[in-house]
Amino acid sequence: MSVSRPARCVLSAPSPSLRLCCRKFQTTPKLSGRRRPAPPNVKAVDMGLITTRKATREVYKLYSEEEENARDVFRKYNDNEKAALAQRYTPSQLEAIEAGEEAISPADLNYDAVVRTDIGALKYLDDFSQYRTMLDKKPEEDTPVDPNARLMTEEEFADGYVDWQMKIEKLQDPNLKKTDPDYATKKRPNRSDIEFRAPFEVPISVGTDGRHQTPVLSTFQPSRRGLPSKEDEAIQKIDLAAEVDDRDPDGTYTKLMKKTGMTLDEILNIKVKILVKHNVSNQTRLGKIMSMYCLAIAGNEKGRLGLGQAKGQEMENTQNLAKIAAIYNMRPIARYEERTIFGEVDAKVGAVEVKLMTRPPGFGLRCQHNIFEMARAAGIQDLAARVPRSRNKMNTVKAAFQALTSQRLPDDIARGRGKKMVDVRKVYYGGRV
Amino acid sequence: MSLVNLSHVCSHLQNASKARLGLTSVPSSNMHLSVLLALQSAGFLSSVTRGGLQPPPLDNLSAYIPEPVTQENISTRRLWLGMKYWDNQPVLSEMKMVSKPTKRIWMGSEGMGRVIRGKGEGEVKGITRPGECVFVSTDKGVLEIRECVERKIGGMLLCRVV
Repeated sequence: MSVSRPARCVLSAPSPSLRLCCRKFQTTPKLSGRRRPAPPNVKAVDMGLITTRKATREVYKLYSEEEENARDVFRKYNDNEKAALAQRYTPSQLEAIEAGEEAISPADLNYDAVVRTDIGALKYLDDFSQYRTMLDKKPEEDTPVDPNARLMTEEEFADGYVDWQMKIEKLQDPNLKKTDPDYATKKRPNRSDIEFRAPFEVPISVGTDGRHQTPVLSTFQPSRRGLPSKEDEAIQKIDLAAEVDDRDPDGTYTKLMKKTGMTLDEILNIKVKILVKHNVSNQTRLGKIMSMYCLAIAGNEKGRLGLGQAKGQEMENTQNLAKIAAIYNMRPIARYEERTIFGEVDAKVGAVEVKLMTRPPGFGLRCQHNIFEMARAAGIQDLAARVPRSRNKMNTVKAAFQALTSQRLPDDIARGRGKKMVDVRKVYYGGRV
Repeated sequence: MSLVNLSHVCSHLQNASKARLGLTSVPSSNMHLSVLLALQSAGFLSSVTRGGLQPPPLDNLSAYIPEPVTQENISTRRLWLGMKYWDNQPVLSEMKMVSKPTKRIWMGSEGMGRVIRGKGEGEVKGITRPGECVFVSTDKGVLEIRECVERKIGGMLLCRVV
């Protein structure tokens, strides 16, 4: 019999209803009965101190209900705003702005021109009206393929072009004279017809149902969804593939060059190193399937550092993939005086805790080898580190990366607190540090 | 002078900034008021207002005059604190006690000098993180530790704020 359950609990029947009827032995009300409701708080979102995805969504939801409300959000410029615009834009530009306002319904704008913040929204901003061959998946064909479709021969194309030109010529003002100063712009077909209308209106391929204005052959991406034509990109692709550098004969970095826009020189100047390498296995009913795991770092020794991981069957290929991922993931690292970090930072990944500490000039990199390599790649010269708990290599590297990228900058702190901040070292040494 | 209530305030402010509250309240006491005013002058809080169980009017926080304290309402008086955010991140993210209710720590200005230079003094760790502040209860009121060193005043270390 414990002290907390006195004997009468045993004597009384175990049903809860009876226990509730038990006589109280003290007059103090229960804690739950005594508890007062907590005073209400005001959320920072409601005070406009922070912005959240939810808050923006609510605003749009509020205004998308009625067109009248939509007009409030995307309302037309009033006279004062127009006067302000007139200071910045020429009268013809202002006319264009007004024409644009007339042309687009505020309700449509409200419905379409919304940055999605709901649960299905993407985590990044993307313009879906553009199709980028390197990044986007090739759109699927959802229409039946025309077996007779082909590109036009030269004669057929010339005929089509002449027909189009004659159609345009009919639009010309019959009273137009060659002496007119605006003859070049008023005559049809003029330069804008040829440059902007012809690519979209002159047929270039033939199918069962006659001429088509867009290419239907699979070598060119059909642009019937309003996507830009892909000829230029196709040509560029061929050029890049044709150009093989001696330093990268296998084309390991070709895709990376296209993705990042870096040249091969820039890529080869980046310090890349594999820090962690081990075998991993996937247990299936057929047995263990071994593959290799690589963790690489990449740094330009000037304050940029990246981390890349890859898994694969072949060693060389996996290492290359990890290196490429590391270069692709390079991010800026804040450095104090371009030699050490700002203050002390902690990070935790799994059971690994990493503590990085700022140190004075000339201290050197007194830290374990993985963090040493990372600091060297990022261009940090003075640093101390502690890894007090687990020392798993992979998680150590990840935690150190997290610590380096999550530094709080004194400028941000000062602006957050509304304080003036002066770097005393810089003042003492007259800005020469 | 109980430090228990001050530790509750520390925890509450940490929770409030994690919950992204804009205005929150703590029980009113002279000790709380002096610590929170020191926090405000260090830039961690945007406002400290006296009030009751309901939040004061948001549009008039600075000029708002609270109802007078009487015998009847003194137990329900609260201090309403405006939290600060910068770049959607809280300005005050961590607040911990240095002295504990069972072990108070007093320190002279020399020891505090070592603390602000990043060295430890006794069991008090040095200030190593950027923007870290320690608040000290002295006979000149609650001051920031750097100010104590400047004015050569010793006192009891209350809490550490980042």
